[in-house]
Amino acid sequence: MGLDRHPVERYAVWIKNAVRGDLGMAARGGATINSMVKSRLPNSALLAVVAFLIAVPTSLFAGVLAGTRPDTKLDRILSIGSLLAISIPEFIIGVILMMVFATKLGWFPSSSILLPGESILGSPKILVLPTLTITGALFAYILRMARANVIEVMESNYVRTAILKGLSMRRVVFKHVLPNAMIPTITVIANNVGWMFGGIIVVEFVFAYPGIGSLLIMAIDTRDMRLLQSTALVIAAIYAFANLAADLLYGLLNPRVRVGQ
Amino acid sequence: MNKEPLLKVEKLSVTFFTPRGTVIAVREASFEVSRGEVLGIVGESGCGKSTAAFAVMGYLPTTAEIGGSISFEGRDISTLSKKDLRELRGNRIAMVYQDPTTSLNPSMKIGPQVQEVISEHLNLDQTDIDKKVVELFESVGLADADQVGNRYPHELSGGMQQRVMIAMALACDPDLLIMDEPTTGLDVTTEATILDLVASLKKRVNAGILYVTHNLGVMARVADRVAVMYAGQTVEQSNVNDLFASPKHPYTSGLLSCVPKPPGAGEVSSRLKRIPGFVYSSQESDVSSCLFAERCPLADSECTTSAPALEFIGQDSQVRCFHSDKVEPDTWGAAEERISRKDVVSPIVLTGTGITHEYGKRQKKYMAFGPEMDLPVRALNKIDFEIPQGKTLGIVGESGSGKSTLARAVVGLVKAKDGSLQLHGNELDKTVENRSNENKSAIQMVFQNPTASLNPKLKIKKTLIRSLMRFSKLTKQGSEERAAALMEEVGLDLSYLERLPSELSGGEQQRVAIAGAFATNPEIVVADEAVSALDVSVQAQVLGLLEDRQQELGNSYLFITHDLGVVRYVSDDIMVVYAGHIAEYGPSEAVLSSPSHPYTEALLSAAPIPDPSAKPNPLRLEGAVPTMREEFTGCFFASRCPRKLGSVCDTEAPPVQKISTNEPHVINCHIPVDDLAKIQA
Repeated sequence: MGLDRHPVERYAVWIKNAVRGDLGMAARGGATINSMVKSRLPNSALLAVVAFLIAVPTSLFAGVLAGTRPDTKLDRILSIGSLLAISIPEFIIGVILMMVFATKLGWFPSSSILLPGESILGSPKILVLPTLTITGALFAYILRMARANVIEVMESNYVRTAILKGLSMRRVVFKHVLPNAMIPTITVIANNVGWMFGGIIVVEFVFAYPGIGSLLIMAIDTRDMRLLQSTALVIAAIYAFANLAADLLYGLLNPRVRVGQ
Repeated sequence: MNKEPLLKVEKLSVTFFTPRGTVIAVREASFEVSRGEVLGIVGESGCGKSTAAFAVMGYLPTTAEIGGSISFEGRDISTLSKKDLRELRGNRIAMVYQDPTTSLNPSMKIGPQVQEVISEHLNLDQTDIDKKVVELFESVGLADADQVGNRYPHELSGGMQQRVMIAMALACDPDLLIMDEPTTGLDVTTEATILDLVASLKKRVNAGILYVTHNLGVMARVADRVAVMYAGQTVEQSNVNDLFASPKHPYTSGLLSCVPKPPGAGEVSSRLKRIPGFVYSSQESDVSSCLFAERCPLADSECTTSAPALEFIGQDSQVRCFHSDKVEPDTWGAAEERISRKDVVSPIVLTGTGITHEYGKRQKKYMAFGPEMDLPVRALNKIDFEIPQGKTLGIVGESGSGKSTLARAVVGLVKAKDGSLQLHGNELDKTVENRSNENKSAIQMVFQNPTASLNPKLKIKKTLIRSLMRFSKLTKQGSEERAAALMEEVGLDLSYLERLPSELSGGEQQRVAIAGAFATNPEIVVADEAVSALDVSVQAQVLGLLEDRQQELGNSYLFITHDLGVVRYVSDDIMVVYAGHIAEYGPSEAVLSSPSHPYTEALLSAAPIPDPSAKPNPLRLEGAVPTMREEFTGCFFASRCPRKLGSVCDTEAPPVQKISTNEPHVINCHIPVDDLAKIQA
């Protein structure tokens, strides 16, 4: 481990190896960090993807529903509900869900302990509560974004043009409102992939879910500097890639940003 | 003729209930449009023109309360079901809007945007629709009609976007076409081409056209009949020739006499007449008197105690006035003669030599390597000018020609890259920060948008006192007195000193801005489109104010405008600029008469003339001012010049030619002056 050498030098060596894809050995347990990340990352990715797949379409749908009918009862309920969901931190939502569905009703397990060799896909029940927790905040956030953008676009001159072309409201919404309202919304969603990973760390810890987040917590617990560096690096890389993807997506969706042929 | 009109609007009223109070946008609008005619609705802002137009489309917020009736082919619009309304919109009644850039969907190609109207209303198969779209694009004069549909709105110029909007409106051969200020915000040259298109539509399509505008010149060009609106009421309706020749309502007469006459009418001999006061507030609900009475020179006790009704005074004309028989050319006062300054020789106050400016930096593709990317924009190129004391230099040109950059360089808001400015022969620093207090107070500026240029959080008094204390070295007491005096000079009540800018109308704000500019006793006032955003009656007031100040104080103006009528009215000398180059420079009258530079000629022929009998000059400029980035060798105007000689224009810079021997009047053009005189005769 080279503890006799200067910390700066050790750090330089770690970076040199990390760039080559070798994160080194963990301080305890004798496993390579690479293999630990490799076994944990898919679990986190699974959690994120499932949460995303549930949250994005439903929240967009609800946001558009609220945005096209501003100040109706439905809009008020969705707006207030989403505000509530945003203001409650994930670990509280997680604990509440755990109390209700695991302790009281016993429908789903409260923690996600897996036996060695077992895969999440083998017992999908353990995915439900962590997913729901992440979905809650994400859903509320996207809903508010979509609603605000839809309302703004509904008031634009080109939507007025579309209405006065005699198009049906359905066509106005799908052809003229949505494409323009979704450009900023989708960008925000993509930018939030990174932010969501912050939430995942907490949720994984609450549910003892074997992902990259709980690996990070474990590294802190055991004062394993190298493991901590490595997991932070992985999370940061994911964050950076998500933002890059968001920018590319924005260019793809918005003809004004696209570079001329 | 006893046929039912296509559209009949009777006693329409529209009231909006907003959190900030009730707004009566339209009080009593009545007008008719028949097939094959253009009805123009004219009036100042806040008179309810556009609201009336949108009411015809059945498109008003659900909170609006609508009175009276709008019947389209005998059917009342307000009783139609949503479905019937949809069948009318875009199909039988179509609309063209003021701002084409925001009225087109930015993320959709323009072809599909036109297609969807057709597929919504007509039963055609895809190949016929495609064919029809191309035909439509051709009919509105879009070049490359079969390819242009693949472009996005942001890839088109403002004029082309408006053509797309018109194509879209014509897609289903509507019976009624509503055009709401379709050329407002476009350059004069583009406006002229769009007006040509509207004029040709009039002959080509068998529809009624409702044309809303505040511009009397545009009205005279396109309308057959005109309805004049004031404070939400139709005050006069008549055919266009009678209306312009002998207006029957004092408001119409006032509007006509406060528009500066267009070029070609010789030297300006009399001052503009002014309508005092401001448009009757739409928040006011009292209609027991004539709403125009407080501004009207003919008003008597009858006008303030009872409200006149819209009555027929001829077969085809209606007027809402008790005294329509008394409206004469002198209703708004006898012509006030203006003292000619033409032969007055005065010393030069400000000299600019070789002023050159570029926007942007030279950048390489890969940091310090690779080919140069995004060359800087050449905004000004070696501009020379002189402003004599007590006189006005007018600068005209389309947007993008560098007018405003020059104004900013003179006041020091942009640091010119090259050239020099001299005040009374002393070198001025290029940036305002480095100028002495005396030099700062000697050159002041009035901006286009007074709302944006006054500090919204500062009372008028504070705004004025600040610059007084800073530049005039007055005590607090002294500057308060001076501020009050300034307010009087610009014709504002002293109570305004305690108000915030937001409590003032646009015209009043511009007066405050002018008071602020004059607070420092400036020698030069730079007015950058200072009257462009104002209504004609307010514009006349502000122009009169600027003129009074100049007569009393002997200051000079650098007056920037795109309106040739205004520039003719205010200027002693005119500089015509194009893409940062001087095209023509000389005494006002000489510049505005032929022979002139082909660009001046094109601007002149594009300017709408408030006289329906005027024959439009067919010379037109297509496109927009190019952004000059690259080094070029030929004439700056070669790419758009309607009088291009040949390859010499592309390869050699134009020579400076003197137009006459006894006046300092020059053009930058290859065409010999004698030849120009012959072509333009």
